[in-house]
Amino acid sequence: MKDPDVVVVGAGADGPVAAWKLARDHGVDVLLLEAGPFFGNEEWPEPHVDSGGTVSTDPDDLDGKLLDEQFTHREAEANDPTYGYLRVGPSNSARAPWFRNLHQNAFIWQVSCVGGTSIHYFSNHPRGYPTAFNDQPHWPDEVSYADMVPYYRLNEELTSTQQAPMTAREEVFIEGASEEMSGEYPLLDGLNVTETGWRPQPNAVEVPGKETATGEPLDSDYEGSFSYDDGFRGDTLVGDHFQGSSTPVDAPVREKARKSSNIGYVPRALDTNDNPDVGNVAIRPNTYVTDVHTAEGAGNLEATGVEIRDTWSGATQTVEADTVVLAGGCIETPRLWLNSGLPDDGWVGKGLTTHWFDWVVGVYDDETVADINPEREHMDPYVGQNSAVRFDKPGVGGLEDIGMSPGLVSFADYLFTEAGYSFDTPVDPDEPWDTRGYVVGKELKQRMADYRNTKAILVLTDDRPRQENGVSLDDTFSDEHGPVPKVRWEPHPDDDERRDELARIAANIHRNAGASHVHRSEWPPLLLHMQSSMRIGKVLDFAGEAKNVDRLFVADHSALANGVGGPNPTNSGQANALRIADHIGDRYF
Amino acid sequence: MTEHSDTSMTRRGVMKGVGGLAAVSMSGAGVAEAQEILGQDVPADPHTRDTYRAIVDAIVPRTPELGEELGEEHVPGGLDVELEKFLIWDFNHFQEVRLETLQTPIETARVGGGPLGGLGDGNPLEDTLGGLTPGDEGGEDVPVVDPVLELVDGLMAPELFQLDLDTISSGSELGALADLAGLDAVGELTDLLAVEDVDEFGELLDFGAADRLAIDFADAPIPEDAEGIAEFDLLVEAGNEVTQRVIQNYPYANVFPFVFDIVAAEFLLRGENEDTPSPNPEFAGGGTFVRLSREDRLRCLWKIVDGGVIDRLDGILSPMLPAVGILKFVVMAVNGLHGFGYYTEWSGLGDTKTATPSEREMQVDPGAVQSRTQTDYPGPADGYAADWRHAVDGGFDDDWETGETPGPVDGELPDEAADDAEGVPGGEAE
Repeated sequence: MKDPDVVVVGAGADGPVAAWKLARDHGVDVLLLEAGPFFGNEEWPEPHVDSGGTVSTDPDDLDGKLLDEQFTHREAEANDPTYGYLRVGPSNSARAPWFRNLHQNAFIWQVSCVGGTSIHYFSNHPRGYPTAFNDQPHWPDEVSYADMVPYYRLNEELTSTQQAPMTAREEVFIEGASEEMSGEYPLLDGLNVTETGWRPQPNAVEVPGKETATGEPLDSDYEGSFSYDDGFRGDTLVGDHFQGSSTPVDAPVREKARKSSNIGYVPRALDTNDNPDVGNVAIRPNTYVTDVHTAEGAGNLEATGVEIRDTWSGATQTVEADTVVLAGGCIETPRLWLNSGLPDDGWVGKGLTTHWFDWVVGVYDDETVADINPEREHMDPYVGQNSAVRFDKPGVGGLEDIGMSPGLVSFADYLFTEAGYSFDTPVDPDEPWDTRGYVVGKELKQRMADYRNTKAILVLTDDRPRQENGVSLDDTFSDEHGPVPKVRWEPHPDDDERRDELARIAANIHRNAGASHVHRSEWPPLLLHMQSSMRIGKVLDFAGEAKNVDRLFVADHSALANGVGGPNPTNSGQANALRIADHIGDRYF
Repeated sequence: MTEHSDTSMTRRGVMKGVGGLAAVSMSGAGVAEAQEILGQDVPADPHTRDTYRAIVDAIVPRTPELGEELGEEHVPGGLDVELEKFLIWDFNHFQEVRLETLQTPIETARVGGGPLGGLGDGNPLEDTLGGLTPGDEGGEDVPVVDPVLELVDGLMAPELFQLDLDTISSGSELGALADLAGLDAVGELTDLLAVEDVDEFGELLDFGAADRLAIDFADAPIPEDAEGIAEFDLLVEAGNEVTQRVIQNYPYANVFPFVFDIVAAEFLLRGENEDTPSPNPEFAGGGTFVRLSREDRLRCLWKIVDGGVIDRLDGILSPMLPAVGILKFVVMAVNGLHGFGYYTEWSGLGDTKTATPSEREMQVDPGAVQSRTQTDYPGPADGYAADWRHAVDGGFDDDWETGETPGPVDGELPDEAADDAEGVPGGEAE
C-alpha cells in the first residue's frame, strides 16, 4: 500500500482494532505497522531467522498450523525475557532484546509482534468499573461510562467474550469467596460492576462445549482428540496462554479459541481487502517507526506521515499519510513522540498506571481440594483458562484467581518480591498470611513440590495516574531507533493502602477455602497492565487526537485516562480504540 | 543511586591503552576465527562461572534431605542442570550496542552539551517549560517533572563500554579499583568507598581466580562512520587461564561478579553477615562473594536493592558499569531467572541449552525434565479433559443504559466464522 489514508503505528492489542474499524466502517485505507514479527503468516514462515515478505494483505496468508509450530506451549521458549519467542525485541532472534533502562527492582512484561502483548494475555475482558469513568476526575467529561458501553458491547461480540468455565481450581476460589459457600461475597451476574462481589471472568475465549462434533461427551472422562481436524471446536482448557496459545491445534487462525488481537481482529482486518465496498488494511511487520513527520498547519502542527526502519535490513523510508495513529503501547508511543520532538506540555509519557499488582499464594492439602471437588485430589493449575474467576471491589480494585505452568508459578509466587528473603522477613501476626518475600532453597523446592495444589490470587489495585510515574528518554543508552525508554513507576501511599486491603481479602479467601499455607509475594512493580501514559484529557482530547498536533491520534492503552479502576485493560483499550476510530473517521474521512 | 554524567570522562582517563587491547588480545586470531568465537557456547571464566554457580546453589540447591521426605527426584538442584549457564547467557545477551550510536561527547547532554547545545542558563525553552505546574485533579501532591531532561542527544560515550580492571598491573584489587576510578593512590579510595578502614576493606576484597577483566570494542578505535552491531573483545585472565571471546553484546555477565565481590566485601566490613565466611572449594574460582554462606550471599545481593549499597558504592561501581542503576534490576533478574530457567523445560534442551534461540531443540520430553519431575507437571498438551460448569445461568446481564450507539456500525459482523460458531458443537454456551 503506497498511499495509505492512515498509518497505524503498532499492531498490538489495539492497533488492529482501530485499523479494522477505520477500513470497515469509514472506507479508509490503512497501513498497519508493527516492529515485531508476524506469527502464523505464510509470508514469514521463519520469522526469527529470515526477513520473509514485506507486507500482508491477503487473509489466506494466515496459517493456523504454522502458528501451532511457532507457539510451542513451552514456557522458557516462549517467555524468557531474553530468548523467548514472545520477548520484546527484533524478530531476528540472534539479536538481543530491545533495551529499556529500568533503574529499580521491577519487571516490564511486554511482547512485540502482531497481536502484541495480547498474544500472551489471559484473555480476561472485564469492563472498567463505571466509577472509574464517572467518579474519578481523571476522565474527561466528554466521555462517560455510558459512552463506552456500546463499544464494549461491540468488542465483546467480536472477541467472543463470555463467562469463563469453572474447573476444579475455580471451585476452590468460589469456596473461599462465595457467601453461599464458606466466603462472604455475593455472585455478581452483570457486566457493569458497581457492587462488591465475585463472578466468573468475562473472557475472550470460546467456551469448551459439552460434546465434540462426533458426539463424545466433553468431561473429565474424555479421551479423544483436541484437534480441529478431528472435529474439536472451542476452548480446550489449556492454561498455556502466556506461551501464546494456539488451540485447538490445526484450527485456522481465526478459529483459535482465545481471541488475542491476532485472532480476533487481524483476520477481520485482512478480510477488508476482499470487500470492494470498504477500505483496505495492509499489515507490515518488522518495521520500526522512528519519527513522526509534521508540517506547520493553520494552528497546530499537523502530522503528515512517519519515518520507518526495516528491522532486518536497516533500510529507512518515509510513509506519507493523511492521519497518523499511534498504537505502540504505553512505553513505545511516548518514546516515539519524544524522539520525534513533538510538543510536550509536561504529560507526555507521564501518569503511567500499572494496577500495582500483588500476588497471594495458597497451598492446599489434597484432602481439602477433594472435599471441594469430590472427583479430584488436585487443582491442577495448568487445567482450565489461566484466569476464570474474579473478585471486584469498585473504588479499590479487584482480584483474579490464577493458574499457570510451573516455571511461571515459581517466578510469580516465590521469586519476585520487594520484601526480601522470607528467611529474614518477619510477618505481622495480625496479618492473614504465613510468609512473605522470596522463598528459596529447600523451602522453594518443598513449595514447588506442591505445585499441583498451589494457586495464586492476583491483586489488581486501582492505582491512579501521577505525573512522576512514566516514560522518558534515557540519557545514557540509545539503540538504532534513538534514545531508549527510561521507565519508572512507584506507588503512592494510597495505592499501597488499597493494595494491602485487597491482599488481605485474597488471603482470607484462601483461608476460607481451607488453605494450609498462605504466602504473600509482595511484588515489586510489574509493568504488565500499563495504561494512561498519554492520557485523554491531558495529552489527548476526548477523541484521542493530540491536543498540540492535528491529525495525530493515540489509540492504545496509553490513551486511557486512568487504570479503569483495576480490571484488566484489554477490553477497555480495545473499546476505546473502536471509539477513537469512529472519531477519526468522523473528523477526517 | 545517582547518575554520573562524568563517568565516561573518568574512565577515559584511565584507559591506559585499553584501546589496543583488541589488537593484542586478538593477535593470532584471524577474522574467521573471531567469527567462530562469536557463535560459541558460554565458555565462562572460572570467576564468572563459580560466582553464578554460588547463586544457583543458594536458590535451588541440592537437597539430599528431601530424598526421604519427598522422593529421590527432589534431591538434584540447579547445578545438576548447569543453570549457571542460563544466567550467564541471559545476562550476556541483555543489551545490544550499536556502533552508530557511539560518540565521544565533549560534554553530555545532562551537563549542558551535545548537539542540542547548552540547556542550562539561557535555555530558550526555559521560560516555556519552567513555569509549568501541572498538578493532577486528584488532589495529590505532584512534583513538576522537568521536561528539559527529555532532550537527550541519542549518543553514547564509547568509554561506557570499555573497561580494564587489572589487579596484577595495579598491584592489588584495591589498586585496580583506584586505577579504574582515576585515583593516584589506594588511600584515596576511602572517600569513594565510604569506608572507615580501606585497608581492612582491601583485605576482604578478593576477585578469586580473576586477575584481570578487560572489555573493549573488537574493532577499536571505532571508525567514525562505523555502523551495525558492536562486537566486544572480552578478556578475563585468571592465573594461567585466559578466557577470551568476541561477543556481540556487552558482557554484563562477566562484569557483575566483580560487582558482587565488592558488595560482599563491604557487606562483611559492615558486619552485616550472619554466618562466618569461609573458603568454598566447590566454587573455587569465585571471590569474596562465594565465601559467604548461602543465606548471606542472598542477603548481600539484597543490600543492592534495599540496603543503600548503590548509593554508598556508587563512586566505585560507576566506572565498572554503563549505568549503576540497573543493578537493582539485575538482582531482580538474578532471582527471577531461576523461575524462567530451572522450573521451565530449559534444562531439557541438552547441549543446545545456550545455542542461538532458533537452534535450541528439546532433547528431553518437556514433562520429564528434572524440575518437572519435582513439580509433577506433565508438560504442555493440546487440551485437557475436565468437568466444568458455568457459574451464571443464562449468561451475564448487561442493562446499562446508553444514549448512543457506536458510530456507523453494521450489525452484521463481517466475519462469518463468528456466526458459524453458534452452530458448531463446542461453540455454544450452555
